[in-house]
Amino acid sequence: MYVGVDVGGTYTDAVLLEKNKVRAIAKIPTREDLLSSILEAIDSILKDVDTKKIKRVVFSTTIITNLIAEHKYDDVDMLIIPGPGLNHDYYKLRPYIHILSGAVDYRGREIIRLNEQEIEAVLSEIAARGSKKIGVVGKFSPRNTSHEKRVAALINNKYPDWQVELGSRIGGQLNFPRRVETTYLTCATRRPYHLFLESVRQALAKREINADVFILKADGGTTPLVGSEELPVETIFSGPAASTLGVQALTPPGETSVVVDIGGTTTDLALILSGRPLLSSKGARVKEQLTQVRALAVKSVSVGGDSVLEPDGNKIIIRPERMGPAYCLGGPVPTPTDALRVLDLTSLGNKDKAVEAMTIIGNALGLGVKDAAREAVSQVVAVIAAEIEKMFLEWEQEPAYRVWEVLHKHKVRPRIVAGVGGGALGFITQIAEKLGCSPLIPKYAAVANAIGAAVAKPTMQVSLRADTEQGYYIIQEEGFQEKIRGKKFNEQNALELAKKSLIRRAAKYGLEVAPDEIEVTRMEVFNMIRDWHTGGRLFDVTVQTPRGIICRIGYEGDY
Amino acid sequence: MKKLLHKQTGLIFFPAFDWAISPTHPEREERLLYTRDQIFEEGIMDLPQIAEYTPSLAEIHDIARVHFCVPRVEDQITEAHLIAAGAAILLADKIVQGEIKNGFALVRPPGHHAMRVVHGNRGFCNINNEAIMVEYLRSRHALKRIAIIDTDVHHGDGTQDIFWHDPDVLFISFHQDGRTLYPGTGFTYELGGPRAYARTINIPLPPGTTDESLLYMVDNLILPILEDFKPEFIVNSAGQDNHYTDPLGSMRITAHGYARLTEKLRPDLAVLEGGYAIETALPYVNMAIILALAGLDYTGVREPDYWPGRFKETPGQKEQVRSIVEELLKRWEMREKVSPDPKNIVGNYYQRRKHIFYDTDYIEENQIEKLRLCDNCPGFLVIDSEANHGYGTAGSVLCISVPLAACSKCRTEAEDIYERSKKATEYRYIYLQDKSADIFYGYDSESRKEWRTEG
Repeated sequence: MYVGVDVGGTYTDAVLLEKNKVRAIAKIPTREDLLSSILEAIDSILKDVDTKKIKRVVFSTTIITNLIAEHKYDDVDMLIIPGPGLNHDYYKLRPYIHILSGAVDYRGREIIRLNEQEIEAVLSEIAARGSKKIGVVGKFSPRNTSHEKRVAALINNKYPDWQVELGSRIGGQLNFPRRVETTYLTCATRRPYHLFLESVRQALAKREINADVFILKADGGTTPLVGSEELPVETIFSGPAASTLGVQALTPPGETSVVVDIGGTTTDLALILSGRPLLSSKGARVKEQLTQVRALAVKSVSVGGDSVLEPDGNKIIIRPERMGPAYCLGGPVPTPTDALRVLDLTSLGNKDKAVEAMTIIGNALGLGVKDAAREAVSQVVAVIAAEIEKMFLEWEQEPAYRVWEVLHKHKVRPRIVAGVGGGALGFITQIAEKLGCSPLIPKYAAVANAIGAAVAKPTMQVSLRADTEQGYYIIQEEGFQEKIRGKKFNEQNALELAKKSLIRRAAKYGLEVAPDEIEVTRMEVFNMIRDWHTGGRLFDVTVQTPRGIICRIGYEGDY
Repeated sequence: MKKLLHKQTGLIFFPAFDWAISPTHPEREERLLYTRDQIFEEGIMDLPQIAEYTPSLAEIHDIARVHFCVPRVEDQITEAHLIAAGAAILLADKIVQGEIKNGFALVRPPGHHAMRVVHGNRGFCNINNEAIMVEYLRSRHALKRIAIIDTDVHHGDGTQDIFWHDPDVLFISFHQDGRTLYPGTGFTYELGGPRAYARTINIPLPPGTTDESLLYMVDNLILPILEDFKPEFIVNSAGQDNHYTDPLGSMRITAHGYARLTEKLRPDLAVLEGGYAIETALPYVNMAIILALAGLDYTGVREPDYWPGRFKETPGQKEQVRSIVEELLKRWEMREKVSPDPKNIVGNYYQRRKHIFYDTDYIEENQIEKLRLCDNCPGFLVIDSEANHGYGTAGSVLCISVPLAACSKCRTEAEDIYERSKKATEYRYIYLQDKSADIFYGYDSESRKEWRTEG
């Protein structure tokens, strides 16, 4: 038996799966105390269930998103080593940024040394302010971790009780500004996240639930509870990932679909291309800041079931605000949900009230009630459909750096528009129509997110960078730098080393990985030619455990 | 969502990581690798002032609008070439349409040594990306006056050849003195054809020239000429081999110098040309150029081994540059007052004989180029070209090029020559490039087959 729990902004949903069938469902309003919402949901689905039968529990939570959104964390002092390049003012995006001398180049060679006196002075300044959280990030640190490690050593020496995070461990991809931001957020949220997970652990123990516990990440994979503490920001946008996986589990395999999750004020759009959820190529955007967090390519549109409808001349404006629930559910102003109710596209709420709401709109526009409702619905549909079109276009326009990639760009268009989530599913049919697709509201659409969490697979990746001219390799996720032994080091060696590291790393978290199921997501080999002969080779390999879902939810016949 | 308060700088980065002339050639997969690392690590693509685009392929037709590829366009190019040319066209389109304020096509392979007639690769170039883009703009967007500024350390002899007779395209090239470096041309007396005199300006610089004399020359020669010419579009053939660490050149320009240069020229579109110091120059120079184009602060960009004041010129070098500047300014000022050399006039034509060497492919070409002198239009070109590939002569080809602004009399005359030549047996391949109609013909006299491309 598997348990999946998704904590949303409005509701916390839970499902209990046995083999590939849904055994129990729960939907609890999310309270400020996330823990109590989670426990209430779990208790609800586990009524009369033998807890020993539960093999695993997966949570998708908004704890990190909330922490960041509400700024419920202590500020972090960032020690950054940017060296020459962009103007340093560009990096001063957080209150306490300290710029240290030192620089490393793109091959990881030291260009400018660290100034240890300068570092000690900065540390004293920080200590005087009473701050104990430090992020250390150097430009090109994924190519040479020594500068960051030296700074960490100096800190540990003098202030052993400080929390120190290194950029090279947190963000191995090349993008220094994003790495700084991701390191900052990781450092800031680690402690509160740990406390939250502790309370979850204790609560589960009290209920004698001894299953393996996982947390869902933004990229649709899961990580064991302990492992998730290493990189808390990876869990930041797990909600949309949960919905997307849910649709994957509730639709036929190999399909290209758009996942439309219409919430109260926002609609989240995600793409499943040929049965695989599309990953964002760059990294998640958290509020206004860009990070290196791997996430699904989800787009949030400021239109939802409870958005405010405002007549303007002979048009209706959809305002990106929520002033309460729909009018037909007791709210103060007309909303798209009221339009749906008038047209019987939903059964939520009081119809008379909905008619009242659309009359208000209709009168202002000189339209009848039904016409006003149709107008409102078609506008919502138009906005969402346009954003979906844009998403596909953006995916097609992703930059390509190889001849092969440019030649093989192809147009992809969805076949299915799948609706999940709460009450605004009445829009799905028309959105699908507008895009020339088939609509699909799968069974269990209301808890698709919890199902997605329940069927998500554990994922882990390892990136290896080897430079045979300089004779060393780095395992980015471990921050592990080692000399290359022996003269020969080729593509096969690099790949094997990466795979071995992945298996070892996974084992640390209790995951078993078979070598032949490891996926290679990146394999770059460059010959370094110096004076017309090969001076060495550069390897960049990324391997991961296979992504996917553990099962499809089977129900005979109807889709 | 990037805020579009001002227009952005468009960037196409196409390092063609899976293409090379040969595995150990300077034009190989590795060339832009470290540039990529630097640009990505700096987060350039995330900057709100930068818009990254993906390249698309140019059409065969776009190539045929500029070049006579022997025997056909398809025989002289690979997809990588179409992508590089396509990138320049794509950005040019967006600039002219006002979507972006300027752009940089950081692409491989380069093109400025590719001349009008192409029998093979020379100077690492097969087709001329900038020329293809310029002729595309003039054909599709009705732009007329364009300036191309070639800042590569090697004389842009290909671009010069293509626009030699074109009064509406100002071609300025500064480079290391041809007596000291490939391709051995680009002297101050090379000033363009009789109908386009002084629309070609060559500035040979002495080896060892630093930022100082370079910027002096830009301020006192290039900028004043641009002021007078008033181009609608400025192209920068941006070669980075003037850098002090370049293995093929002997100049002493720095990343800062390149940034200042870009700032002063204010090109609408920069297209990468040469530059083979892939570790010590390219990552820094490209950063500097991108930041300068985007109007961002580049003062923090610095090569690891550079300090201000590291390179100084001798008084002799400074003097040499000053006298070249003076000479060329005079030529420019006198440009309307010069008549073509009567020695070169044969009947109704102005004739040139050229001997062209293709260093990469070891081909020797002999050309007789004739310009039809017409009082009503720039006149058409008839080129007799014979190439020796080392394994024997491939035969002669006849290339007829009718310009965009040709008068109907010249068009008819050129068509007649084409038809007549098809019936004779003198030439293996005959081509008619009618830019005014935007239709390009080719004829194989052996198989008696004709082909054409249209817009």
